[in-house]
Amino acid sequence: MESIRSFEQLEQYSQRLKASVNADLPTVMICFGTGCLANGSREVADAFTEEIKQQGLKVNVEIGLKTTGCHGYCENGPLVALRPSDILYLRVAPKDVPEIVEKSIKNNEVIERLVYTDVNTKEKIAQYQSIPFYKFQKRIALRNIGHIDPTSIDDYLLCDGYKGLSKALTMDSDAIITEVEASGLRGRGGGGFPTGTKWRSCKAVASDVRYVMCNGDEGDPGAFMDRSIMEGDPHSVLEGMIIGAYAVGAHMGYVYVRDEYPLAVKNLQAALQDARKAGFLGENILGSGFDFDIKISRGGGAFVCGESSALMRSLEGKVGEPRAKYIRSVEKGLYDKPSVLNNVETWNNVPVIILNGASWYAGFGTKGSKGTKVFSLVGKVNNTGLVEVPMGITIKELVEKIGGGVLGGKGFKAVQTGGPSGGCIPKKLSDLPIDFDSLTEVGSMMGSGGIIVMDEDTCMVDVAKYFIHFLVEESCGKCTPCRDGLPRMLSILTAITEGKGKEGDIEALKELCDVLSYGALCGLGTSAANPVLSTIKYFEDEYSAHIKDKKCPAGVCKKLITYRIDKEACTGCTLCVKKCPQDCIMGERKMAHIIDESQCIRCGVCKDVCNFNAVRIE
Amino acid sequence: MENVTIIINGREVEAVKDQSVLDVARENGIHIPALCYHPEVTSSGGSCRVCLVEAHQGGKMRLVTSCNYPVRKGLEIKTDTDLVKRIRKGVLELLLSRVPDSGVIKDMALKDGITEPRFFTDEGEENRYKCISCGLCAAVCEEVVGVSAISMLNRSRDKAPGTPYHKPSTACIGCGACAYACPTEAISMRDKDDTRRIWGKQFTMIKCSVCGKPYIPDAQVDWIVKTIGKDRAFFDKCPDHR
Repeated sequence: MESIRSFEQLEQYSQRLKASVNADLPTVMICFGTGCLANGSREVADAFTEEIKQQGLKVNVEIGLKTTGCHGYCENGPLVALRPSDILYLRVAPKDVPEIVEKSIKNNEVIERLVYTDVNTKEKIAQYQSIPFYKFQKRIALRNIGHIDPTSIDDYLLCDGYKGLSKALTMDSDAIITEVEASGLRGRGGGGFPTGTKWRSCKAVASDVRYVMCNGDEGDPGAFMDRSIMEGDPHSVLEGMIIGAYAVGAHMGYVYVRDEYPLAVKNLQAALQDARKAGFLGENILGSGFDFDIKISRGGGAFVCGESSALMRSLEGKVGEPRAKYIRSVEKGLYDKPSVLNNVETWNNVPVIILNGASWYAGFGTKGSKGTKVFSLVGKVNNTGLVEVPMGITIKELVEKIGGGVLGGKGFKAVQTGGPSGGCIPKKLSDLPIDFDSLTEVGSMMGSGGIIVMDEDTCMVDVAKYFIHFLVEESCGKCTPCRDGLPRMLSILTAITEGKGKEGDIEALKELCDVLSYGALCGLGTSAANPVLSTIKYFEDEYSAHIKDKKCPAGVCKKLITYRIDKEACTGCTLCVKKCPQDCIMGERKMAHIIDESQCIRCGVCKDVCNFNAVRIE
Repeated sequence: MENVTIIINGREVEAVKDQSVLDVARENGIHIPALCYHPEVTSSGGSCRVCLVEAHQGGKMRLVTSCNYPVRKGLEIKTDTDLVKRIRKGVLELLLSRVPDSGVIKDMALKDGITEPRFFTDEGEENRYKCISCGLCAAVCEEVVGVSAISMLNRSRDKAPGTPYHKPSTACIGCGACAYACPTEAISMRDKDDTRRIWGKQFTMIKCSVCGKPYIPDAQVDWIVKTIGKDRAFFDKCPDHR
């Protein structure tokens, strides 16, 4: 595209772009997010290209066949959306392509077999926006994702891209900060610190050099909101950073991305180049006299580098270890200069806040937590994926309306929020609004927005053990409570799940939690107690059952359970006998079978295959 | 330099803005136990967590490490509250379970009433049985000596100081500053006749021309001559006979 040197030129260019688009032209949008690519969306795209060519159809290949970022409904990929009919097809295979072209593109017919089926009502829903997974979402951060080609700057411009920047550059930098403050935007990386306040403090520090940084080191297991934004809408992050840099007076910015996100790195790099060519980065941006550029720095895969001070050290080329933040990074951050570090999703919200105004944004959410938040909804729930909802939605609404309820009709037990150092919230609190303060109040946290749904078959001691194990591995090892405390917590938890728990274990765990939350150096350490504290708080009876009765109520901890065959229920079909990997089930046809407990490895295959529900866990 | 007045344990004391709380306490004869901090090493401190104190400022209280908490106007410090004692005791119990053989840690833990840790104890190889991974040795080597022969390797509970790939380091000058600085005497340095062994490397010691005592590794003399241009003849005699 041409280089844009003024606001007028940008406006003219956007107008020309809009005029050149034919909205009625049939468009096939194929998700090229990491999940769908893994499921074979590239092959599906190839099949469409081939089919369209063969049939000589008037589908504009340039725009018509669009490879987009993640739609968030990854478990049902590859996803194919059609325009203008707004049909969404799930799990599309190359062999489905000729039929889609024939029926749906040419004749607007719906192919029932490929559309969404509601698990509960069995209703077939073809329209993208009517699927419950999307219907109850409010997409601000994910506004463009799935609709635009992330590698096309023109696509971004067509969705009002860089208009926020264009507006911001005509504003006074203080006015921008005031606008962000008024919007109530709080840090989406987990801390929830008011973004505007951070910017103002940074600007207030006297210095010739300032930096802005973007934290794209998303490391929570199961979380992929930042990855999706960087992959699917990279320009929105850059635009936010340019606005932020102009507001605080920075001329250099860094995006710190984890190297395990190759597509995010690639799309960001392409976006940087395009933005430079177009004149949104570099010297004298849009003729405003403001100079700013961004570099990408790839992380080495340490979880702790998502912590702000460790990230900055890593950016400086040092070992990624946290430092005491008694002097804040807005005062002394990167290279000891005043710095603003915000998360991917925080930056991505900035352009629309400037464009649409603070009061528009503050219209969503709750009193203390404005706007929307992207969550990765995973676990034992029917619809998993990336969802964006207004702050303040209750746990119940999220799990039932968007998630479609617990998988397999099982009972809902708890949600775990906030990543590995978040906490577990029990069913009895399912009317709790999801916002920064409410989550902290009940002993969990917003974190970066991971939500894991747990059903009745989940053992909460096992859950605590799982997260502590993760944190043991990811602790940087700098401070005593985290380095030496977490392995000791893990050893107590392991003993409890193996039937070796003893009186006083719960108290010892609580004491260790205190040492961590009061004594650890960084946020990773101080919050590492959450998984243990919250499970003890809400599920202490489960701990007691393990310790005193040597039982695992959920039937998960292998050393505490035995598999038995109910003689009455067993029909003697011999299916379990055949499937047992240990050959430790005895029994003749039409006679009740018996498990030899001394050989049983408690794999549960017998229970899974039994058609008569005759295998019981005791 | 801006002077400020702060309160430690109810007592008003004079300090310089941004000085560390621990330094101010020491200047005023107030004892706070500490391990990983050395006043001459800017990047030291903050890792052992033994010097935790309560910092009250702007109506808020939090536990901070006194070794790197900067003194600012209006600060009040309490070093002996129940919370401080409880958390420090927890930290010392963890350190004792990490290095049960360290005399320094044993004594310090005993002062807080711990004789035996409740948790499993670590066993280690080489220096590990006394090392608390505080990183002071590596900080001294980089910041004071300027050779960076050792650094903190690995992460999590395996974090420990060492040379690259655990091989004798070509950068090490055998000065032994790491061993002198180590708060738990965990670094093995052996001087025998005119050789010194440290970090798996052997050094020849230069003898004093007066008393004949081997007193400095030749590699350290080379380093000093190279970096500050001191006359080599200066090192003929030990400090006692210069």
